[in-house]
Amino acid sequence: MSHREPPSASPGGDEPPDWALPAWDSLSDDGSPGPATGPPPAPVATPSAPVVRPRAGVIPDEFRPSILGVTEVTHVVRDAVRTDQRLRDVWVEGEVGRVTISSAGHAYFTLKDERSQLSCIWFRDDRLVSPFEPRTGLRVVAHGRIDVFEQQGVYQLYVTAVQPAGFGDLALRFEELKARLAAEGLFEAARKRPLPHRPAVIAVATSASGAVWHDIRHVLERRWPLAQVVFAACQVQGEPAPASIVAALDRIARYADQCLAEGRPANAPVVTILARGGGSLEDLWSFNDERVVRAIVGHPLPLVCGVGHETDVTLADFAADVRAPTPSAAAEIVVPDRVEVAALLAAEARRLTGVAQRTVAAARRELGGERRALDQLRPADRLAQARERAGVLLDRATRTVLDRLGLAGTAEQRAEARLRPVVTLRLGTAHATLDSSVAALAVLGPQATLDRGYAIVRRSEDGRILRRADEAQAGAGLKIRLAAGELGAISQGPLEPG
Amino acid sequence: MTTQMPPDIANLTFDEALAELQRTVAELEAGGGPLEASIAGYERGVALHERCAVLLADAELRVRRLVERAGGALEAVELRADDEALPDGSG
Repeated sequence: MSHREPPSASPGGDEPPDWALPAWDSLSDDGSPGPATGPPPAPVATPSAPVVRPRAGVIPDEFRPSILGVTEVTHVVRDAVRTDQRLRDVWVEGEVGRVTISSAGHAYFTLKDERSQLSCIWFRDDRLVSPFEPRTGLRVVAHGRIDVFEQQGVYQLYVTAVQPAGFGDLALRFEELKARLAAEGLFEAARKRPLPHRPAVIAVATSASGAVWHDIRHVLERRWPLAQVVFAACQVQGEPAPASIVAALDRIARYADQCLAEGRPANAPVVTILARGGGSLEDLWSFNDERVVRAIVGHPLPLVCGVGHETDVTLADFAADVRAPTPSAAAEIVVPDRVEVAALLAAEARRLTGVAQRTVAAARRELGGERRALDQLRPADRLAQARERAGVLLDRATRTVLDRLGLAGTAEQRAEARLRPVVTLRLGTAHATLDSSVAALAVLGPQATLDRGYAIVRRSEDGRILRRADEAQAGAGLKIRLAAGELGAISQGPLEPG
Repeated sequence: MTTQMPPDIANLTFDEALAELQRTVAELEAGGGPLEASIAGYERGVALHERCAVLLADAELRVRRLVERAGGALEAVELRADDEALPDGSG
């Protein structure tokens, strides 16, 4: 900046008034004492001084100032402000001047010291969660960033938090401790442990008095009453608080060990909630204490930290496995919702019923199939099957018998030789009997009867032997068989009615 | 239903019962077992579900307070549900 002196003397040699001197000239980093001994400054447009433009041809182009629009200038200033690391995250201490609250709820105020003023804007959302309200005349420390409000061409502090003065020391200590512990790796994401899914035993470390313990207990009761809660009271404010918090965390850790050692794992806490209600940064300061941070990191159980309001961030939050925005939120994060778990359980019940129904239906289908299969097995088919099976058996039996006979052949032949004479003798006897019987039959035959004078009468037309007189009406032809020869005759009808 | 619950199920914690229920359902869904085994699995599943449902419906938050005894041993003292006012103390 200091080397942007114009190469030529300002025309006319008339000195601009003191108040018009550009600030950059008096801040030259080469240690020059200012305008009194330095070369005359470049002409600068001021509200009252006439604009003196260097003539073309006198000043080389690269040194000729370009003419910017108001917006362009504003953007240059804005960009310079925004890119400056020192202005992005600042703590500013000063006395509060006039305070105006807009209808939208934003607060506009000035911070001033003996020589300067700084315009500040504090938006509603940030302001409403703050326990502290700036009032005219108070010395405060405001945290925020410097930015340019282009419409009015002003730079101002966009406030995120306001604390009473005296806090500045704390803020510095906070940043220093945070940097140191972070360098040790205490806040690293890799250190964070996952929370248990549905913890059976939950340890809570907070103050026994106050709404926080009540709120946490209420949330746990509503969401997951299946849990057991082990409460470790501690002071959360004032000088003794850090040691008290460390002792409470230690009691929880030792109690968990004790339960396991005594064979009561069901009573051992598996997750810890460390909580405190909202307050000023000083109120919450115990949770920025190095002892507390180290106790959290060294705590054997996964730990959820819920301190203050959503905008309050403490080192305990950084060190915890999970940071909850509020104490109630910490309780909600730790346990499942009973309603959701009930829905999960109902889904399991539906699956169970579904699979049971499918199993029974499948069994029923299978049974029906068996029955149909049985019905289709008609007896005839089964008989055929049996027959086939029997046929196979018979074949086998036959083969066996034939084999046996083959073996027994010679013995049978011998037996036959012995039997044949006996058979022949029998047959001879039978022939003799037959001959005598034939003779007997001959005696009993019709010829013998005819020989004795009887005759056999037949009708001529059909050869039928007549036994009754009415079987041959008058005129019917007759054949009469005698012992020797046959006689033809004509019937004259029955002689008397039969 | 509750009175018929097998004693081993009646003593399960919610997580244990739910885990076994999920395992049982998965096994039944995989299928393959004989019908008798499926029916037995279903009956056990019903009992496990009943156990979970009862725990979910009837549970009462049990709150105890850690108290340090003289020897350094810790004791968890039962707090009643309406026992809101607690003496502060860091032990």
